[in-house]
Amino acid sequence: MAEEFEPKIVAFLCKWCSSAGSDLAGVSRMKYPPNVVPITVMCSGSVSPLYILSAFNQGADGVLVSGCHPGDCHYIEGNYYARRRIALVRKLLQYVGLEPQRFQMSWVSAAEGQKYTQVIQDFVDTLKPLGAQKKLRRKK
Amino acid sequence: MVNLEELKSEIKRVLGEGKVKYFIGYRRSTGGLPAAPFFMKETEDVERLIWDPTCIANLTRFLDDEKKRKARQKEPDTRPIGIIVKGCDSRAINVLLQEEFIKREDVYIVGVSCEHSGMVDEKKLAAKMKGKAVAQVDFAGKDNFAVTAADGEKTGIPAAEVLAGRCVECKVDYPVVRDVTFGEELARSPGNAFKSVEKIEAMSVAERWDFWKEQFDKCIRCYACRSVCPMCYCDECVVDTINFAVTAQTGAKEKAQKIKWIEKSPATSENFFYHMVRAMHLAGRCVDCGECERVCPVDIPLRFLNKKMEKEAKELFDYDVGMNPELPSLVSSFRDEDAEDFIR
Repeated sequence: MAEEFEPKIVAFLCKWCSSAGSDLAGVSRMKYPPNVVPITVMCSGSVSPLYILSAFNQGADGVLVSGCHPGDCHYIEGNYYARRRIALVRKLLQYVGLEPQRFQMSWVSAAEGQKYTQVIQDFVDTLKPLGAQKKLRRKK
Repeated sequence: MVNLEELKSEIKRVLGEGKVKYFIGYRRSTGGLPAAPFFMKETEDVERLIWDPTCIANLTRFLDDEKKRKARQKEPDTRPIGIIVKGCDSRAINVLLQEEFIKREDVYIVGVSCEHSGMVDEKKLAAKMKGKAVAQVDFAGKDNFAVTAADGEKTGIPAAEVLAGRCVECKVDYPVVRDVTFGEELARSPGNAFKSVEKIEAMSVAERWDFWKEQFDKCIRCYACRSVCPMCYCDECVVDTINFAVTAQTGAKEKAQKIKWIEKSPATSENFFYHMVRAMHLAGRCVDCGECERVCPVDIPLRFLNKKMEKEAKELFDYDVGMNPELPSLVSSFRDEDAEDFIR
């Protein structure tokens, strides 16, 4: 029997909310798919478009950027900048012909372990039928 | 109408008074139709100045070079640089002012209006003339060009047929920042400023991918687009590490630690990476002067990429590029009501 395709997701989680949220999911023993490679960044606003393109370049099937809810940013306004920048990256990725489902953004607070597991579960479910991301992947 | 004699006498006056270090304009090229950039230092030089629809180059790139040159000199000449700008070029100056890369007092700007038509596209003209060599192109009233062939034959051509892509979609064809203007300042009303982008947006995801793959696979990574762009002024560029300062003192460990984001070889994935990074870096900064597309040796329609970011800036964030140097730039500002319907 052929093995089912397991997508690889790179998740950029902000240190103050989303990373703590994923931590809460972990310590609460919540179950969610092990397809995520979490990368903690200081703020969602510090996620350069370069990181996202590089993740796809290195073979990620999906990229998630997650930060604090608007108004909750530890640095007051970092996630507002992120929101604007990520919107542009998303439009650009769609424009060059990448499946729009492969790139997502979410707000996950430190108390939303449940929401984090749900975001990951849904992301994995949408990526599975798409198959491996080969368009932007570097050929070894 | 721009009166060339008046333009010349103004530049002669400014040069004669010693107000500027030198003046950048256009002269007839010794090879090919498009006018060549022209650095005027003496008043006698000004006689060779031209202004016609072949003056397509964006001269503001030389302001970047001038700033870098000045930074290396011990006792730099601090007089301003005189420059001739079209509508699009003046917006590039606005963006440079907005980013405080240059100061307003460092440039003396002479604006010229594009006479309601615009600049001629060399390739479109060659196709229109069916290969006949062209010696000269002149403005001939609204929406018309007078073309003189190499054998002396004169023909009138409707401007719309040979206009450069950037001019077809131009919104403001007069200088928005200048010390003095020649020609009329009348805003034009293009049918649709984003027509080229919409054609690609209407495609399906797979079609879009195929379109861009075909285009980017042509790329030979000569970086001509980067070299000509007035906005690409960084000393170190993320896409090629030859720019990183490696001196005799740079140790092996330090060299090894430099992040290599991108391969130099022109593979599909790396070409996409390069062009997308460039598009992101130009988001909210690209003034659609179309120089990248013009200089591309393999004819990649780079304008479509940058125009898309301009369109999103306008539609999502109501941001007009290069119109107001006082406003913060696109990605260093936000509004509370920015769209977040894509975020869960």
